[in-house]
Amino acid sequence: MTDPLLATLRVAGSGLEAQSTRLRIVSENIANARTTGDTPGADPYRRKTITFGAELDRATGANTVEVKKLGVDLADFIEEFDPGNPAADERGIVKMPNVNILIEMADMRESNRTYEANLQTIKQTRDIISQTIALLKASQ
Amino acid sequence: MNPIQLFELASRQAEWLSVRQQVVATNIANANTPKFLAKDTTPFSAVLDRTSTVQGMAVTQPGHMAANDFSDRNIAVVDEELNNEIGIQESGNTVALSDELRKTGEIKRNHELNTSLMSSFHRMMLMTVKR
Repeated sequence: MTDPLLATLRVAGSGLEAQSTRLRIVSENIANARTTGDTPGADPYRRKTITFGAELDRATGANTVEVKKLGVDLADFIEEFDPGNPAADERGIVKMPNVNILIEMADMRESNRTYEANLQTIKQTRDIISQTIALLKASQ
Repeated sequence: MNPIQLFELASRQAEWLSVRQQVVATNIANANTPKFLAKDTTPFSAVLDRTSTVQGMAVTQPGHMAANDFSDRNIAVVDEELNNEIGIQESGNTVALSDELRKTGEIKRNHELNTSLMSSFHRMMLMTVKR
């Protein structure tokens, strides 16, 4: 039998890890929002996606969260007319990544919010544990 | 009234609170997991009710997995009632983050009350013993 409070810390920690991986993916997408291909007509950067899954941690019996799948967004690339670009094909059209900055920003905010909620859980659990330990302090 | 009983009651509530904290933490960690259903523990009154049995599955063989470690103490983990304002999200997730944070605050408050009561009972007992 494991202590539920320690399992709580483990669960919240897994949440922090999952959300920070998500933030990494978001930053990769934003950084590569204008990354085109190397040769004329080549495919540019494809937006990455991340999926979470609940995972039963057998040691504690708690449902932690894990990164289940890192995938790519199969949406069509955005085509821009820019004949001066080295990646432009014979019609002067350049394929731009299928990254929408607004969507990435919304994703980032949501991820940030969940990260903060997990952090709050850790803080409160720590407080509860120290309250329990304080019971052992000799009362005069 | 026997003070020993009070200590037992307090320890039971502390146990229930820590299980609930674990369940709430699981909900918060899975706030963005597709198809995750928010969970909650059965109320504390069910713990005290000796006639009530847990709705979870009983462990009848050593190879079975318990719903949680406290099934024998009338604490069960059940699906949470749906929050009507937030409902089911597009991804099939039913976690209402604000609700969960409210619950952790409640748990912390109750735990504070619980430990303060325990230490004050302890002080009372010491007072009678000292003289």
